[in-house]
Amino acid sequence: MILSSDAAWTALDPARRVVTSSEGWLTASQLIEARVSRDFAPAGSFAVSMKSPARMLSALFALDGTAAEILLLSPGLSAPHIAEIMASFPSMMLVSDRSDAGPCTHPDVLFAAPAASARPAVTTSWIMTTSGTTGVPKAVRHTLAGLARTVRRAEPAEGKSAPVWGLLYEPSRFAGLQVVLQAILGGGMLAVPAIGDRIDARIDFLAAAGCTHLSATPTLWRGILMTAASRGLALKQITLGGEIADDAVLTALGARFPQARLTHIYASTEAGVGFAVKDGRAGFPAAYLSEPPAGASIRIADGELLLKSDHGGSSAAIGEKLDGDGFYRTGDRVELVGDRVMFRGRDDLRANIGGAKVQLEDVERIVLGHPGVAFARAEAMRSSIAGNLLSLSVVPARPDLDPADLRRGVMRFCAEHLPPEARPALVKVLREVPVEASGKTMRRMS
Amino acid sequence: MTNLASKINEIYGEIWREQKPGEPPLLTNETILLEAGLDSLGYAILVARLDEELGYDPFTVATEAFYPENFGQFVAFYEANAPR
Repeated sequence: MILSSDAAWTALDPARRVVTSSEGWLTASQLIEARVSRDFAPAGSFAVSMKSPARMLSALFALDGTAAEILLLSPGLSAPHIAEIMASFPSMMLVSDRSDAGPCTHPDVLFAAPAASARPAVTTSWIMTTSGTTGVPKAVRHTLAGLARTVRRAEPAEGKSAPVWGLLYEPSRFAGLQVVLQAILGGGMLAVPAIGDRIDARIDFLAAAGCTHLSATPTLWRGILMTAASRGLALKQITLGGEIADDAVLTALGARFPQARLTHIYASTEAGVGFAVKDGRAGFPAAYLSEPPAGASIRIADGELLLKSDHGGSSAAIGEKLDGDGFYRTGDRVELVGDRVMFRGRDDLRANIGGAKVQLEDVERIVLGHPGVAFARAEAMRSSIAGNLLSLSVVPARPDLDPADLRRGVMRFCAEHLPPEARPALVKVLREVPVEASGKTMRRMS
Repeated sequence: MTNLASKINEIYGEIWREQKPGEPPLLTNETILLEAGLDSLGYAILVARLDEELGYDPFTVATEAFYPENFGQFVAFYEANAPR
């Protein structure tokens, strides 16, 4: 890791415990001073996919400053999906502690031989993929310094304990890294439950670790509210992000955790900007249109939310989605209701399912791989629990196929070929291609 | 078990068999929902299928925000918010 002149890193007490996980503690020095062994050529490129979040953090911080590029991959990606993504990065070495990730190098090997003594001090690109879970995700490049830009450092008042941030997002994701960096650089501690554990077990872990600050999607918060373990959490700060927060979940959180500040975040990775709403109500104040929150400018055009970053940190691939003034067209429909701007869903072919973005045409393309399916149409439907869910309509390839058998077969096929959030909740078998299908073709061309 | 409870059990079992190996557990009033095996995405699917079957979603129509912890509360929430 490049310590360089960054005051936040050098201010960390090396002996202080900064991470607690089911695998034990990590001190600041274990994270900051970790080095990869000299057997690995400096300025190489590494893809990392770890089931252990603590190993993920150790590997990331060790590679920063040594590797030219780090590609952060979710531990939930299948081996074929990893191979598909890595095809765009031919010189990368895959480092993983998973047995199901395909050919890879175990992270222990990275640290096995004596560490390189001289610090090469490369500025490492952290490559993150967009949260889409189907098709080949878009890669967005960051640097550690850029990622840490939003960290706020607050010294705890005398006698007050430092915040304990719970990590429910994957550290391979933008939202997860934000929590990691805020916790460690912001003077607090990071509590990391095991990935893949049931939500009640993860909340039990966080309660026992004294978690005070917790960030999750509205879908996950609804799940947290359904656990008895959540009554053991003594939260001071609740943050919702990744999808639209509704009044039901905000009200229920306020009732369960009356001591906590309640913040919901609207952010666009593509526009490189977001803003926070702190009054515990759905939508955002209409006053934001004239007096924008720090870092962002907001406007509404034809019922669509447009955003502009004040520091121009948007990704390169969004050019065609900018208006004449450089505002990014988010694709989110909004409506002005009194003094409030409310979210009204999307009008494109993307569904946000529990915070994961799913391209409907990708789902259709994959379902068409089922030999009994002649036509597939995926649609986003509103869900009071998960934001959106997918509804899939299929037309049989042959008239003699039994609809109930085909429905079950398509469900099984989806379970084998799609990640959980991209699997349809409802599958309908139609006799013929619906007439609106032509309308969809038009919509795709727009 | 009421009709509603057995309907919910039936659809729960259907979703379970689509997602998991083995037989689904029989849900009793005391079963903690998220400890029974389905995650919150599984419950989102359950609520969507019940909306198709029953014609309503109490999480949308309820005036008070509530997320049930156990199966008994889940069924009672559907009963309390059934269209009259």
